[in-house]
Amino acid sequence: MRKGLALLVVLGLMLSLVGVATIAQASVKVTYWTAPNPTQEIFWRQLADKFNASQDKIHVYVTAMVETPTSEATITNAIAGGKAPAASGNIFPGFGATLVNSEALVPLDTLPGWDELIQKRAMQDIIKSWTFSDGHVYIFPIYANAMLFGWRIDILRELGFNEPPTTYSGMMKVGEALKAKYPNKFLTAREALINPTWWQRWFDFFMLYNAASDGQPFVTGNSVTADDAAVIKVFRFYGDLKANDYLLTRKATNPFETGLAVWRDLGPWSFPGWKENWPELKLGETFVTAPPPLPDDVSYAHAKTFADAKGLVIYAQRSPEEQAAIWEFIKWVFTDPINDRAWADATGMLPMRGDLSTNQTFDNVFEEHPELTGYADEMAYAVPAMANDKFADIQTALGEKGLIPVILGKKTPEQGWADAKAAIEAILAR
Amino acid sequence: MKKLGWEEVRGWSLTSPYLIFTAIFFIVPLIWGVILLFTNWNLISPHRDFVGLANFIEALKSPKVHAAFFTTYKVMAIFIPTVLITSLGIALLVNSLPRLKGLISVGFFVPYLVSGVAVSLVINGMLSYNSPLSPVFRQLFGYVPDWFGNPVLAVLVISFMITWKLSGYYALVFLSGLSSIPKELYEAADIDGAGWWTKLFKITIPMLYPSLYTVMILAIGLVFGIFTEPYMLTGGGPDLATHTWYLEIYYQAFSSMRAGYASTIALINATVTFISIIIVRKIMERWGKAHGWT
Repeated sequence: MRKGLALLVVLGLMLSLVGVATIAQASVKVTYWTAPNPTQEIFWRQLADKFNASQDKIHVYVTAMVETPTSEATITNAIAGGKAPAASGNIFPGFGATLVNSEALVPLDTLPGWDELIQKRAMQDIIKSWTFSDGHVYIFPIYANAMLFGWRIDILRELGFNEPPTTYSGMMKVGEALKAKYPNKFLTAREALINPTWWQRWFDFFMLYNAASDGQPFVTGNSVTADDAAVIKVFRFYGDLKANDYLLTRKATNPFETGLAVWRDLGPWSFPGWKENWPELKLGETFVTAPPPLPDDVSYAHAKTFADAKGLVIYAQRSPEEQAAIWEFIKWVFTDPINDRAWADATGMLPMRGDLSTNQTFDNVFEEHPELTGYADEMAYAVPAMANDKFADIQTALGEKGLIPVILGKKTPEQGWADAKAAIEAILAR
Repeated sequence: MKKLGWEEVRGWSLTSPYLIFTAIFFIVPLIWGVILLFTNWNLISPHRDFVGLANFIEALKSPKVHAAFFTTYKVMAIFIPTVLITSLGIALLVNSLPRLKGLISVGFFVPYLVSGVAVSLVINGMLSYNSPLSPVFRQLFGYVPDWFGNPVLAVLVISFMITWKLSGYYALVFLSGLSSIPKELYEAADIDGAGWWTKLFKITIPMLYPSLYTVMILAIGLVFGIFTEPYMLTGGGPDLATHTWYLEIYYQAFSSMRAGYASTIALINATVTFISIIIVRKIMERWGKAHGWT
């Protein structure tokens, strides 16, 4: 009896092992790295679970890429160590250019079903601006946020302003009124303005620069093509804010949310967190969003801004089978507009597709997420990040040699820009 | 060929894990790093060019490398005396306790185990402009110090954070040194009428020479490898006042994607560290010799 039981157990174990091995052999296992953001991670995990359940040939694992020190460093390390995932999100054009120059990415437009996917998403025009100089598309754009500024309209109303200012002089008037009534408050609190970390310049310098220059490219190829006058105006604006004590450049915890400051750069990714942690912040009541302010001497019909645009890539390091498998998953995700709608609901960000205003799936998205309306309206005026592989050095030099010394009163705006421009030209010539 | 005896086999088997570890994690990366010194490799590209000594010339001229060099000695000037005083103080305090010495010394050791990132986040919150501590500073001094915007304060904050983290660890080294000092020396000093300070400077500190030597070498080496605190709190600012070697290596390798150049800075860092440790060793050995240690 005992011997029989033991035999049964052994047989059962052997059979189950054989079964597991069969499943393991039948599946191509691939990994997708999402942005280090809980809402995006949940979104991708749920879709991967659905996809895995819908077929048995491909198994997709979703993990969030490590944020520390940066997602770019994490990806670089993974490639250097031969451990790149099959695909990852959170890639902006500048870092994409570095990866393309290093032959680390798969040209997506060569994969089967590319044209159909782009057509289904009405992205024919959008994809043109994501095409690299060799004519290929390496990054599949997932979302683009036209960056806006948030204003504490409740405090502005107390000061007698019913609308956010639209010019630099208007900003100064708000600053003056704010200091008169609340000497310990600031127009804006941004410690990052004296921190040379390259990506911070997207959210302080480039938002204002794109508005002041009407979107003139900062760098083209290996040349600095920035609008000199516009750069100097932005430098002077920040220098004036600091000189008048309207700008706090010290570390401060949630300065906008607590009302210590009334103006900040604001991406739609902030809203899901606000709903949970700052429910008192309500659109139209306590805060509003607005495009960047303009210098007083320009008269553009609409202020341009910076587009925080990110996409996903497939890594060349993985085998052709893995590349094909992850591409199947990507196509599956992005073919159904319901998934795009789920993306907007989960992340608070608008998906990148050309039919947002005509596709019925998105009919009530703005009713349910009124805070996204402003971002959708500004998309046509949003300029993406520079697609130059020396982006980090360029933006670090811009801060170190120009913006930061001007804010700290160590250089004039003209001198700051002359020094920064010379440093950037040296980087481009390297 | 001589056949290995049991003693040799046992010796090799005991040391081989460390030798294999060293080969994998030290010698291979070192050789690879030396190869990279002369290239412009970006860490992920299949191509790299030979650039000769261009990386060395650029590094030696770089204001950021100069800043890293001076930051290290600024931090050292604050960290070494403070960590020696606090760790020795902790060791003396724990050593004088009648019981629970082990438990209390482990308590002082805990900061060493705490993540630098977590501590930096706490300090960040504590010293921010609108932290609960700010009203206290306003009350006491009439203003809130700009902890991370002032070059002197920023260096002080980072130095004290590292002191807090390491004091308990170094105290354990001193504690073991204290336990090996013969009691008879203190009894003889008592008979001669020596006071507490005299005994400290004439007996305890000279007799702690081996522990002091170890702590000094460990502490000097540590200062050359500071990364987490300035990375999390200041990014190397203000105006490169807290820019360290590892920050520069990290920024060049993973932000600017210049692995070859970063390797060059790493080699310069290693050379400066080595020379500094040699100098400190010589000074310590001379001091030890003057106190009867050979």
